[in-house]
Amino acid sequence: MTGRQFPSRAAAAALAISAALAAPAHSADIVWARYGDIDSLDPHRATSTLSLQVWSLIYDTLLATDADGNPVPHVAKSWTSNEAGTEYTFTLEDGVMCHDGTPLDANDVKYTIDAAFDEATPSVTKGSWGPITGAEVIDPLTIKLTLETPFVALIPFLADSFSSIICDTNGDGFGTTTAIGSGPWKLVSWTKGDRIVLEKNPDYTNFGKLADNPGAPYEDGLIISVVPEPQARFAALMTGEVHVAEPPFDDVPSILDSGDLDIVVAENTGQNVFWEFAVHRPPFNDRRARLAVAHATDAASAINLIYGDLSIPENCPVSRGVFGNDQDFCAQYRPAYDPEKSKALLAELGYGVDNPLETALLVWTGGNRQKLAEVFQAQLAEVGIDASIEIMDIGSLNARVRQENETTEGDTGSMDMMTWSWYDPDILHALWHTPGAYRGYTSPELDAILAETRVLTDPEARKAKVQEAFKYLLENAIHVPLYTPGWEWVFAVRPEVEGFKVAPFVYPIFSDVKIEG
Amino acid sequence: MWRFLGTRIATGALTIWVTTVLVTLLIHAVPGDPVQIMYAQSQGTTPEQIEEVRRSLGLDRSIPVQYLMFMERLFQGDLGNTIRGGQPVLDVILERLPNTLVLACAAMLIAILIGVPIGFLAAYREGSLIDTGLMILAIGGISMPHFWLGLMLLFLFALELGWLPVSGNGPLNLILPAMTLGLSNAAIFARLTRSSMIDVMQQDFVQTAYAKGLPKSLVLRRHVLRAGLLPVVTMMGLQFAFMMGGAIVVENIFSWNGVGRMAVEAIFQRDYPVIQGFILTFSIVVVVVAISIDALYAVLDPRIRRS
Repeated sequence: MTGRQFPSRAAAAALAISAALAAPAHSADIVWARYGDIDSLDPHRATSTLSLQVWSLIYDTLLATDADGNPVPHVAKSWTSNEAGTEYTFTLEDGVMCHDGTPLDANDVKYTIDAAFDEATPSVTKGSWGPITGAEVIDPLTIKLTLETPFVALIPFLADSFSSIICDTNGDGFGTTTAIGSGPWKLVSWTKGDRIVLEKNPDYTNFGKLADNPGAPYEDGLIISVVPEPQARFAALMTGEVHVAEPPFDDVPSILDSGDLDIVVAENTGQNVFWEFAVHRPPFNDRRARLAVAHATDAASAINLIYGDLSIPENCPVSRGVFGNDQDFCAQYRPAYDPEKSKALLAELGYGVDNPLETALLVWTGGNRQKLAEVFQAQLAEVGIDASIEIMDIGSLNARVRQENETTEGDTGSMDMMTWSWYDPDILHALWHTPGAYRGYTSPELDAILAETRVLTDPEARKAKVQEAFKYLLENAIHVPLYTPGWEWVFAVRPEVEGFKVAPFVYPIFSDVKIEG
Repeated sequence: MWRFLGTRIATGALTIWVTTVLVTLLIHAVPGDPVQIMYAQSQGTTPEQIEEVRRSLGLDRSIPVQYLMFMERLFQGDLGNTIRGGQPVLDVILERLPNTLVLACAAMLIAILIGVPIGFLAAYREGSLIDTGLMILAIGGISMPHFWLGLMLLFLFALELGWLPVSGNGPLNLILPAMTLGLSNAAIFARLTRSSMIDVMQQDFVQTAYAKGLPKSLVLRRHVLRAGLLPVVTMMGLQFAFMMGGAIVVENIFSWNGVGRMAVEAIFQRDYPVIQGFILTFSIVVVVVAISIDALYAVLDPRIRRS
């Protein structure tokens, strides 16, 4: 960038002033308000849920997710892999069209993968693509991916919007002003920080996405606007300016009572809220202390108190909708609510109600989690754990937890209510395989189990191994699941809106939406 | 006068320079590894990529070198790229700065149009019930937090009466945020105008004007108003800085797409290049406005004009 560009910037600024005075959107479009904006229209440049949700409307993926979270065919109508799990061949549907009228074929898939592994500007989710070494176009409707080592999580990844297929006709301005995909909605414009305007793709064919509608969306347009203040979103819903939005949490009961708006709760979000501990110093380097916390926690009643039936207890380290999740299996190993057992364990460690174990309980802001933390704090106090709550934003929490784990001496270690969402149990590898995302608990035994969950190509064998990891994490109280979902999963919908639903992993679907009147 | 302005410009330049230093240090002021925090929940980002970000931000260099790198890029008009989305920070800021300036100017206009007449009226009726009533109102206005006033206006005019839209960036959308920001500042202007007018009214030249037999309305218009408004003009510069700050809250309530809201998002996302760019832009705007107001003041006040 040079200094000479300044005059044109001044002109652009003047234009922006007049744009600021431009008229609002056409009223017949669907308007969906969210608290924040996307980071980029380029699926290789961002990782936020807000971005992913928009990509899922503009782009297609090779595979899609069914209502239970399992990968199913979509643009790829079938796929095969070699025995070793190092080669995958996908056969694409014929006649899929990009928004600019060019056909979507194997070259576009190769273009997308090559872009993800580009030397100079690799995708920010390059690691999730796995050890792909090549993408070969066999014919226009067949693409072969070669992997250095087996990587089973590739298949669910290809059903997630991280792997959105970018049409190879995208040129300059891709990601900010243009975004050519083949999804149900076409990009009209993106005003950063304000709104994304989409129009329906009249040529759309839905092969596998979770919508009843087999073709183009029913409504002409979809506007995704940014309204950060929850009360303003609520007001906009009530006036009809907005059709769908996340309501303020504390107003959900009154919304339900009044019947002015419908409430839609996303299922199978994969979101997992759990206890974890600073394990490299006392007290939580002792398994008994961790178990004492787990046995003292009555997640079901705490969640019911704060969220009613908007959220549910979770027994497994990866939540409902994710491969391997099995409530009954995990319930056998998850330390059950048993305050007496907790007290006995604390007594062994020399703690009691008169001599409580003092620790810090770290929580991230928002979603009423601070209130939930207070309920847990009271439960812990009953057995003799004096937890002082510290609330911080998610970025600080992540840094702090890692710092806590890297501290081996000094003050008593902390515990935290951590939250993660991922479409595959591979997240456990990221969290608990040496060195571990937070430098937390690791062991050679757990490393071996987790390494195998990445390479076992037979689904039954993999499931058994994933569940072995669950068992290890639960019995040792390393990752103590509490509930699911945990953030941004409640949608308030105006009564004239029909057909709004949310696919697994919090992807709202607008293809079925009809606005009456 | 030129000496007066020269000093002002030099102070302004110094302020901006100090800001550039602070902005460079900012990234080191937070506990923990800034890059780790930025990439906190990006599970697919490889360690090499995180290292690359650290390198591109210059965090692998010493702080003085980082500062020189920052200044070199700054003089080329380059504020770096956003961490989230990888877009040029300058573009992101310039796209939204006009919205904030429009909001701040509209609010300033409202503050002056409401505040000055109220202050003048209160001074004119000093000691009366009207004076007391207006000043109670003004104290109420100053004490009212933006977010509360904003939400109240939103509920009244958008939700209950349905006269104005809740969110967006059209001309009608400007009214509520400008009112929110303007009303509390109007209270400040009212109090200042009142005390300044009362002060001027007691001065010798005003007494002389009365003694010459001029009617009260003429004395007020010709002599009191002009002299009494000078401190108000000075206050405008300072208030503009507060308006820009207040815009951060107000923009969030009314979804007004300005730099204030951008800054809040950037802070939550730990997007340091954006935060740095925002602080720098903010300080430049405030300094430029302050100097302009000082220049205006110099023109209006003969004591400075002739010095």
